[in-house]
Amino acid sequence: MDGSVGAALRRRVSEARAAASARPRATLERLTLPLLALVTALLLAVLFYYPVATVFVDAVVEDGRLTFGPLLSVLGDQFYVGRVLGFTAYQAALSTVLSVLLGLPGAWILARFEFRGRQTLRSVTMVPFVLPSVLVAAGFYATFGASGSLNAVLSALGLPPVDLLPSLGAILVAHAFYNAPLVTRVVTAAWESVDAGAVETARSLGASRRRAFRDVVLPQLLPAVLTGAALTFVFTFASFAIPLALGGSQFATIEVFIYSARRQLEYGRAASLAVLETGVSLSLMALYLRYERRQAAQRRGVRTLARRPLVPDSWTRERVGRRLAVAGYGVVVALVFLAPLASMIYASVSVDGRLTLDAYRFLLERQATGAEFQVKPFPAIVNSLVFAAATLVVALPMGVAMGVLTTRRFRGRWAVDALSMAPLAVSGIVVGLGLLRGLVFGFEAFGYRFTVTGAVAIVAAHAVAAYPFVVRTVAPPLDRLDRALVESARALGASRARTILDVELPLVWPGVVAGAAFAVAISIGEFDSTVILAEGGGSYTMPVAVERFIGRRLGPATAMGTVLLAVTAAAFVVVERVGGEFRG
Amino acid sequence: MTDTNGRTRRQFLRVAGAAGVAGLAGCAAEPVDDATSEPSIGTSDDEVTTSGTTTGAPTESMADTLVVATYPPFVNAPSTSPGAWLKEEFEAEYDATLVYQTPDSELNYYIERAVQGVDFEADVYVGLDTGQLIDADSKQGEGQFTGSLFAEAGDVAGSDRVKEGLRFDPQNRAVPFDTGYVSLVWNATMDDGEFAAPETFEELATGDYASDLIAQNPTTSTTGEAFMLHTVDAFGEDGFLDYWSRLQDNGVTVLGSWSDSYSAYLNEEAPMVVSYSTDQVYAAAEGQDLQKHQIRFLNDQGYANPEGMARFASSDAPRLARRFMEFVLRPEIQAGIAQRNVAFPAITDAPLPEDYAQYAKEPAEPVTFTYDELEANLSTWTDQWARRFAGG
Repeated sequence: MDGSVGAALRRRVSEARAAASARPRATLERLTLPLLALVTALLLAVLFYYPVATVFVDAVVEDGRLTFGPLLSVLGDQFYVGRVLGFTAYQAALSTVLSVLLGLPGAWILARFEFRGRQTLRSVTMVPFVLPSVLVAAGFYATFGASGSLNAVLSALGLPPVDLLPSLGAILVAHAFYNAPLVTRVVTAAWESVDAGAVETARSLGASRRRAFRDVVLPQLLPAVLTGAALTFVFTFASFAIPLALGGSQFATIEVFIYSARRQLEYGRAASLAVLETGVSLSLMALYLRYERRQAAQRRGVRTLARRPLVPDSWTRERVGRRLAVAGYGVVVALVFLAPLASMIYASVSVDGRLTLDAYRFLLERQATGAEFQVKPFPAIVNSLVFAAATLVVALPMGVAMGVLTTRRFRGRWAVDALSMAPLAVSGIVVGLGLLRGLVFGFEAFGYRFTVTGAVAIVAAHAVAAYPFVVRTVAPPLDRLDRALVESARALGASRARTILDVELPLVWPGVVAGAAFAVAISIGEFDSTVILAEGGGSYTMPVAVERFIGRRLGPATAMGTVLLAVTAAAFVVVERVGGEFRG
Repeated sequence: MTDTNGRTRRQFLRVAGAAGVAGLAGCAAEPVDDATSEPSIGTSDDEVTTSGTTTGAPTESMADTLVVATYPPFVNAPSTSPGAWLKEEFEAEYDATLVYQTPDSELNYYIERAVQGVDFEADVYVGLDTGQLIDADSKQGEGQFTGSLFAEAGDVAGSDRVKEGLRFDPQNRAVPFDTGYVSLVWNATMDDGEFAAPETFEELATGDYASDLIAQNPTTSTTGEAFMLHTVDAFGEDGFLDYWSRLQDNGVTVLGSWSDSYSAYLNEEAPMVVSYSTDQVYAAAEGQDLQKHQIRFLNDQGYANPEGMARFASSDAPRLARRFMEFVLRPEIQAGIAQRNVAFPAITDAPLPEDYAQYAKEPAEPVTFTYDELEANLSTWTDQWARRFAGG
């Protein structure tokens, strides 16, 4: 008797102990989300809002007084508000349409067909996103220019040559080169998480295939398509190098005027134009976020659609039609994406039409004998990869935390959402100038001057730029998640953090992987903050090396660009292969 | 061994390879400027001479590190750049370390620092042009930027040999060390070898040369600005915009930067590009077809863009800075920089190799605006140009 009471008591005590020891862990788990949100907010404040504010002040303050003078003079100027802003919005709208048209078929093929190398192809779709504009421009000239390969093919076929450059059309195609992969990426992720059960139910209820697509699949893709479109618009609205390189100065965007005002040290004008630009971009983002919130729909199952083989066992007329469409799209892709890249690679191995490895020899020589203050290829590769990995580690939790936070219902949610998306809407020149004045030069407090530079600052800046992509790729599927799943997990005693890890994350994993690819792409391709925060140090990256190797011949820059291409492609494949395992 | 704060700072600069790097941690807090808590200028050569706390001959001792600020291609160009060679030569002669600082925004970086009241370590700026000097002066009085950014050059040995036409600073702060001429570069193999560049601005605007020229935007590019200024010189400030309208109607392509337009030119997008008259130096060294790198001086003129060097007023190593400027003006160093920077020396008697003149072309008549003319007009002209050309 004694013995059994004692045993029960012992058991109760040990259970209590276990509970006690579990409590700190539970507390930690409960605090994870608010903590991440807090860290995100702090990072945003230090690395984004404060620096950008130091720039925007110039638009409203003159000689230490709040006058709004520079802003009013820009707003009252017909040239800026009418012509420049008008053209900027016009080309951004056209670029967006073209990018969506070019990107959607890619998502269809990647999400709906099975073929060898699909996974790899899906990984490398992000490669164009990271290429320095100067290389893209060179590739476009070599492909579509007056003496480009397209005209060589046309004349070989006995057709008249076309003169495509410089023109508005060239700007649009180059913007599509950068942004169509973004549309493809976001939509593929959404398509891959469409519930197969819902489609089958619709079909079994007698809906035609087309009808099922329109009523079941399309509504689930639409937020992703609009995400891609909104991002494309915002990016092309702030486009700078591409219009200047491929359109010529008659097609100058507002960003060109910001750059030249900054170059002439006209800060008031630069800041005012930046306010105007950011105002438009942020309004559009906010509009989109409102739409996305309304779009939230319930979803039940988690089984995804099965892919069809690209080469079917038997051919029907419909199958032939679809495969022909795929082939046609392949031709367009080859022309828009592969030809400029191939031209760039060709430029790296040729001088005046002769094949030579001089450019690569230059890279090796610079590596071997370059002075310590010169940019060398190998450290650039290593830095790029290290920064990308670190950005991934920082931006992924930040993005998921903000994604979870902004899909909850609370007052002022859209404001938090818009504020957290703002890094997308502010141009690189403004962020760069802000980082320079706010952080590299530092700020004074308590008799000390605090400065922020170096590798840690670069990673933080990359993470701030990248995490909105994670948010945007995980928020819509999180929103569509069945609340009942989360609630039952919570009712069964799982902590909030555990629910996220065990229930929500696996369900939105394609979005997380897509966000991870974006984070890597943003980090590898980033130029402005890297070059400012790495000022004079050894923390330069591959794009910085490309820019430094530009000179009177294209070889060294294109060779470095080819290295960038190869390293980046490999990095993406690794990200997706490793990321893909979580689904198991 | 040397453990004064100033020494450690200087040594740190040397180790880091560049100034202004706060290391891997990325964050730093330093006491704000304050005479009593400002140990960082410990080894200024001036202070040594005045305070006399250091042993040794006070008149001879100098700071042991010179921080030279310059634009990135000066040290980092893919072909040749004078940076590494200059550092080696200078250090071999002087018992000092030369550290380069190459901010991406070039001189604007220092102007912005001055306005924000933030110290910087650079002692000399190398690669300054008239426009940049005007920018620096125009910002004076803003924020905490009070005195001139640069100090007067004073008695720099050898500066009397600098060609008269190149001196661009009326206050004698900037000393020219090389010059380039902005001209047309053209491709004689185009049109099946029939193409020949026009001789004059007038011809350039005729239908014979429709869509044949690539130029650069004066608001975003130095060569673009020089070419625009050349048209202002040729047509006057009342006529140059109309001339540009004619060029625009004639299909001129205006791109954003020199590298954009030069790569378009290399892709044979058009037979002519606005570039430098030293273009053949690279092409010859690379064994490229010189027919594709012909030089044309319109109206027999070339716009001269002299590059100067100047000592920052805040430099804590003024004596070493002056030695450096004197060193750069020596004939053999002038020749070395000119060849590696692919430019012309600032003095007449630099011992350049025989064939250099064969590839580096000088115009019969160099054209340039003075500091005073540009100070009054440059921003007006570029703004007018942008408003006329863009959105048109």
